Amino acid sequence: MKFIDKTISEKDITSESLFNNRRKFLKLGAASIVASSTVVDLLAKEQLPIPNLNYKKDSNPLDLKLNSFEQITSYNNFYEFTTSKEKVKSMAHTLKPNPWSITIDGLVEKPFQIDVRDLMSKFELEERIYRFRCVEGWSMVVPWVGFELASLIKLARPLSKAKYVRFETLVDEKQFPDQKRGRFGSIPYPYVEGLRMDEAMNPLTLMSVGLYGKTLENQNGAPIRLVVPWKYGFKSIKSIAKITFTEEEPMNTWQNIASKEYGFYANVNPEVDHPRWSQAKERVLGKFFKEKTRMFNGYEKEVAHMYANLDLKKFF
Amino acid sequence: MYRISMFIGLLIPFFALIIQVLVFEVNDPIKYMYTFTGICSIVLVFLTITISMIKKNINLMKYRRMIGLYAFFYAFLHFLVFFVLDAQLDIVFVIEESLDKPFVYLGMIAFLLLLFMAITSTKKLFRKYNKYHAAIYIVGAVITVHFVMAQKSLSQEQWLYLVLIFVIGCFKILQKNKSLNLKMFNNMFNKKNLIKG
Repeated sequence: MKFIDKTISEKDITSESLFNNRRKFLKLGAASIVASSTVVDLLAKEQLPIPNLNYKKDSNPLDLKLNSFEQITSYNNFYEFTTSKEKVKSMAHTLKPNPWSITIDGLVEKPFQIDVRDLMSKFELEERIYRFRCVEGWSMVVPWVGFELASLIKLARPLSKAKYVRFETLVDEKQFPDQKRGRFGSIPYPYVEGLRMDEAMNPLTLMSVGLYGKTLENQNGAPIRLVVPWKYGFKSIKSIAKITFTEEEPMNTWQNIASKEYGFYANVNPEVDHPRWSQAKERVLGKFFKEKTRMFNGYEKEVAHMYANLDLKKFF
Repeated sequence: MYRISMFIGLLIPFFALIIQVLVFEVNDPIKYMYTFTGICSIVLVFLTITISMIKKNINLMKYRRMIGLYAFFYAFLHFLVFFVLDAQLDIVFVIEESLDKPFVYLGMIAFLLLLFMAITSTKKLFRKYNKYHAAIYIVGAVITVHFVMAQKSLSQEQWLYLVLIFVIGCFKILQKNKSLNLKMFNNMFNKKNLIKG
């Protein structure tokens, strides 16, 4: 049905982009009031970003000591840009996380696409302060902001046949320079990761959209990424473009590249070494001395029951 | 004069590293020191190999010993990072890792060979042991593998280094064959002369 009001001419109608921008404008106004110089000064002094997300704070019951915003955003594995962890930050500006559409398909009642911002508005965001342990032996503590993957799965309504969730990072040569290099790229694209359904439904598993109260920096996987705190960092796939529910175990990128070194599960385990280096200890970013690595990265209580019947040495 | 400036020049990376780590603060200091000292050592090892290779065209042989010793110095710092910071002085851990992991024992083999060459680099000992200093080629090969194993995936720059190393290796082999052929040829020639005479 169409209503046509002759008294309103085409030029009187606010364009859609302006209409959407009014929100930005209102927020800006609100921000300018909140951001009275003292608050901004304080944030600048602590080298913290200006928050732009509403979320429930984490009370940090484990009393984890956070790594700085600077550290978290300056040391990143993101092979779509470069293999150098120090260089990602300066290269990441080519990624355009807004707008950003995610496809949800596979064994679901009805496949659909949704923009990240619409998706975010469906859930209450919360902060989760988690340890993050890279398979390379370094680690950090990050105050993520996001929602549980479980709530997204409920929204997607997978069929009972679905046993795994498969994730894909965006493929776009214009945004990711390493993807231009074809066969000479550092890894095959798209980057793929996967979780077993019970792992995906675990309340610790987070879809993160921000850190330190601010939407994700590009180098951290904007606009939306997975965070699985008891697994090595490569499981926590960045800049997700597609989520597929499958019956078969997905072949994740690093297992595909070197199956003797990286498996599907990739649970943090100080007793199972990487073939080239020990996993017993870790280098917390910014520190000269190593710390003992914890079983399941310190989340044994929450996740160990899922692997009760699994040989962790075989299924590393 | 050249010698002194070279001595100081080769120390610059060491001070640069200390300033980087202590003043500018890097995110992952242990990893940074590993990479930095490792690269310095690899570059210097291949520099000494290159010097012996081009000695007929450009003679830099009088600097070879110093560069070789610096290659050992950076390898020693690399080892110290492993022993002091990574293993936290846990000797059992060092031995276990060295026996268990190819990545570690390759590095260890190269380090021990460099140590041997550093010790026998004095004038007196070198006369006796110089033939064993051909071990530098083993070191070159082993640290190249070690370097590749240290990466999760090779970057373009790293491929470039490998090509460079490969070119140096090919040159060396060609050179070796040439001198061998020459020797064989001379031997044959001499024998013929002998028979004739």
